[in-house]
Amino acid sequence: MNAVAAARSDNVTDSSTQSRTGLIDRLGLGWFFRLLSSSIGQKFVMGVTGLLLCGFLVAHLAGNMLLFVGEKSFNEYAHALHAQWELLAIAEAGLLLLFLAHIYLAFATTIGNLKARTNTYTLRQTKVPGRIIGANSWMFISGSVVLGFVILHLIDLRFALRSGIDYLVESDPGAPFHNTVAVLSNPLSRVIYFVGVIVLGVHLSHGFSSAFQSVGFNHPKYTPMIKILGKIFAVVIAVGFASIVVFVPGMWK
Amino acid sequence: MNHASSTNLNLTLKIWRQAGPQQVGGLKTYEVEGISTDMSFLEMLDVLNQQLIAKGEEPVAFDHDCREGICGTCGVVINGQAHGPDRGTTTCQLHMRRFQNGDTIVIEPWLAKAFPIVRDLVVDRSAFDRIIQSGGYVSVNTGNAPEANTTLVPHHVQQDAMRAAACIGCGACVASCKNASAMLFVSAKVSHLASIPQGQSERSRRVLNMVATMDAEHFGNCTNTGECEAACPAKIELTNIAKLNREYMTALMYSKE
Ligand code: HEM
Ligand code: SF4
Ligand code: FES
Repeated sequence: MNAVAAARSDNVTDSSTQSRTGLIDRLGLGWFFRLLSSSIGQKFVMGVTGLLLCGFLVAHLAGNMLLFVGEKSFNEYAHALHAQWELLAIAEAGLLLLFLAHIYLAFATTIGNLKARTNTYTLRQTKVPGRIIGANSWMFISGSVVLGFVILHLIDLRFALRSGIDYLVESDPGAPFHNTVAVLSNPLSRVIYFVGVIVLGVHLSHGFSSAFQSVGFNHPKYTPMIKILGKIFAVVIAVGFASIVVFVPGMWK
Repeated sequence: MNHASSTNLNLTLKIWRQAGPQQVGGLKTYEVEGISTDMSFLEMLDVLNQQLIAKGEEPVAFDHDCREGICGTCGVVINGQAHGPDRGTTTCQLHMRRFQNGDTIVIEPWLAKAFPIVRDLVVDRSAFDRIIQSGGYVSVNTGNAPEANTTLVPHHVQQDAMRAAACIGCGACVASCKNASAMLFVSAKVSHLASIPQGQSERSRRVLNMVATMDAEHFGNCTNTGECEAACPAKIELTNIAKLNREYMTALMYSKE
């Protein structure tokens, strides 16, 4: 039975008549498989992972704002964080999972979309009043730029692997602050970080409110506020991180 | 005999011509003269076709039936907009007074992988039929008209159901979406039937099956750009897609289906 015919048959989702031969079925994980393979399930998971990543951004920005306070505060914060190494390891694994899921689904949905629209109109004009083709048409591209930035950022500071940057060894108590300023003073990192966080803001200017719609939350009482909140959130994240890139290296010469 | 307020337009039309599903198509230019502003868009195409027939050429194939905005059969992309420039309007209800003398109008068929071109402006929308066949119905026997107050449906719920039921299945949502997503169409039917008592017994199965068919028919994913809502002649709202997402996730996580 081909996929269309299968979907057409009334009993396709009737658990009592489904054959239970595969491993997925024997473990009762059919729902999970459908969550990750159906269009709506995929969008739901994208929305949830996107929002959880937004939560991470808030925590990360708050911690990094200590770079403006001074060397001592930032190092103390970093050491306190790393003292919780068990929790940190779990958090990092969680973050990695969120990123991998979000990125996998970004590819899966975008490829599906390109396959669904194989040819384009000679003339194309929006009917949404005041819409300029903006952030919502550039989600895959803005996400990819963010991915590039995140990879460089991990190489720079999580793994301290960039050549030409004079890192202090991790055991040195001054390492967190010193290494951060050293990386931010590197011209290549500086430019890419700046572009990366601005494009992240663009991604969020659509992503934040879009995620609520994807998880099914659209309500006349709250949706107008969520839309505005999404724009404000995008600006706060972009300007917040960009201010670190722009001002911190000069402040602590 | 001219109506007092009507004027006549001379227009340049660029129309997608394609002899068959496998043939290569392209835009062809035609001139039409003396088009009354009282005419509908389809009547303007009728005039063109009459001209073509008189010259011994093949007329432009386009879909139409009721010509009063209720059947959903008509529908072309006019100057890059599904059903043309007006909101909440089908192609058959679009009037030539929306255009100026000397205008060039580009007319293309709905484009989507799931809507293959049959000929010229006619596309095959049977994918929509298959989605409806997979769950867009109620199969309980409702019997004779019951006593009016035995099944209470609050007015606002009834209004939501009615607004969702207004979908005429024209496919403009798919045509206008950059991802050729059918979610507005599916959400209209799912919301409609999930709102009323008759729809409850098949509620979970309906949404799971309709979404499975939608995916199998190669429609794209919603990215919340809102083009479908703006193009929809029946003014189906995006809130229905959020409701579809809720219905689907609830069925997936909590139902036994
Ligand atoms: C810190 C990193 C990131 C955050 C906070 C973030 C956040 C979000 C949010 C909130 C959404 C909305 C989800 C929805 O519409 O349901 C989203 C969508 C999306 N993201 Fe990300 N994202 C990040 C990184 C990435 C990366 C690395 C990619 C990789 C290519 C990516 C690609 C996409 C795509 C394609 C969408 C779907 C857009 C749409 O459906 O309109 N994102 N993101
Ligand atoms: S939702 Fe609107 S645009 Fe889509 S098929 Fe129904 S009436 Fe047409
Ligand atoms: S012909 Fe019936 S809606 Fe246009």
